[in-house]
Amino acid sequence: MHEDFYNEIDPKKRFAILDSMPESSDSQIMLEIYNDRFSDHEGKGRKNIDWWLWRCVCLQILCNRGKLFKKSRDKEVLSIINELHTDCEEEPRKRFLYYEYRNTAKRYLSTCKSADYASSFLGFKRASEEEKIWRACLDIWQMSAGVAKSSGLTDKMQNWIDALRDELFNYDSICKAEYERLNQ
Amino acid sequence: MNENKFLSVFKQNAIWLVFIIEVAIFAYFNPKFLSLPNIVNISRQVSYYGIASIGMTFVILIAGIDLSIGSIIALVNVVCAYLMMNMGWNMWLAILISIAMATLIGVLNGWMVASIGIPAIIATFASQTIFRGCAYLLSGGLPIPGVVLENPTFGFFARWSLNRWEIFKAMGDVGLIPICAIIMIICFAVGSFILNKSYFGRYFYAIGGNEEASELSGIRVNKMKYLIYALSGFFAGLAGIVLLSRSGSAQSTAAIGFEFEVITCVVLGGVSVAGGIGKMSGVIAGVLIIGSLKSGMIMMNVSEYTQMVVQGLVLAVAVGVDCFSKKRQAS
Repeated sequence: MHEDFYNEIDPKKRFAILDSMPESSDSQIMLEIYNDRFSDHEGKGRKNIDWWLWRCVCLQILCNRGKLFKKSRDKEVLSIINELHTDCEEEPRKRFLYYEYRNTAKRYLSTCKSADYASSFLGFKRASEEEKIWRACLDIWQMSAGVAKSSGLTDKMQNWIDALRDELFNYDSICKAEYERLNQ
Repeated sequence: MNENKFLSVFKQNAIWLVFIIEVAIFAYFNPKFLSLPNIVNISRQVSYYGIASIGMTFVILIAGIDLSIGSIIALVNVVCAYLMMNMGWNMWLAILISIAMATLIGVLNGWMVASIGIPAIIATFASQTIFRGCAYLLSGGLPIPGVVLENPTFGFFARWSLNRWEIFKAMGDVGLIPICAIIMIICFAVGSFILNKSYFGRYFYAIGGNEEASELSGIRVNKMKYLIYALSGFFAGLAGIVLLSRSGSAQSTAAIGFEFEVITCVVLGGVSVAGGIGKMSGVIAGVLIIGSLKSGMIMMNVSEYTQMVVQGLVLAVAVGVDCFSKKRQAS
């Protein structure tokens, strides 16, 4: 049941799976985490917005930002990882967070298969499958180990880094070597 | 500082090194290149490139392109002059209407790209042709002269410097910076704020990086595209007003090929044509490099045709470096 919930990336289907689960302390934690990821944080009545996916995108953008605004960037990274509770040590919450992070990475990676992804030269040159995989590796690395390294927050982000890395390694066989190359 | 950090800082600021080397070369061949009048002149020349390049930066960041800005500038020139000279409108109202019109053209571009799904290069090329034609129709292909002579205040955008502006003079001599350069600096500050400190800037980078993930994250991608093309139109309109103020006469033939020069500035400044990567400080450097290159070549008596060849080469090299670095990263 847990596996189905964490393998599914459509939020509506995930909620249905969660809803069908018998009530337990585990399902309660899973629901809390799910709500944190998908609830209406803006209070504008918008549904099914993936806030964690947005945070992934933000972390990647912050990783690419130059040194000029380093202080404000590091502050923002810290605020994002606090919202993601990456430093949570309490079990079993930490374990469920890890699976939810992986699910977020899975959802991000599902967008990396779209036709426009990683296209170059004003969208005219479509990327090959190999280029898409390479870009996906870079994106995942930037939003996890890359941003953690440049902000000096690797310890605080360890659960997040592990989850995203593990999901990336599942994505394609060449990802492991590519990730390790980027890490160096 | 370890070797990696040094290399990373060097890579991020290499464009400024190119600018310094370029200035040093021109100053070596012609010492007048670094004279105050020439620096003031360059700042006037680059001002309208700079202003227009801000909108283009936003557009290229989302992996789009806006080929209509040259025609928008020409139309703004003609409409603003027509309203003031032929219809006797108040100068400020004419400026306001012209810039609003430029912004609306941007919205139209956004609509074609986001809602209809026409590729940006085709949609904005169509706009380029349509609005250049409108400028010809409105002016009858003839210039509308005497804009600054009839409305002396209009010339303040380009001709006046801070120490010539009475309000500032009362506050003391604050230098020789032309008003148009100050407008450009303000626009760059606004552009930099939008990119680095506002949510909109974050959205621009996100859309350029991964459009589908942005959509799933709750960004209204189509609305953002409308906004970005509208901003591009707005900045092109403002650049058109500055150009009209400099030339004092509206020409429907103004700014032909201008979009390619602006694209050169933006790409040279490190904004990736693949979208999602770039910063405003790099674009400032790109604008200064192109401005200095043009001025330096004129001072060295390089013919106009050769200047065109050089500018074309710069664009090709800038795009080539961007594509090459992407390929190298991937391999």
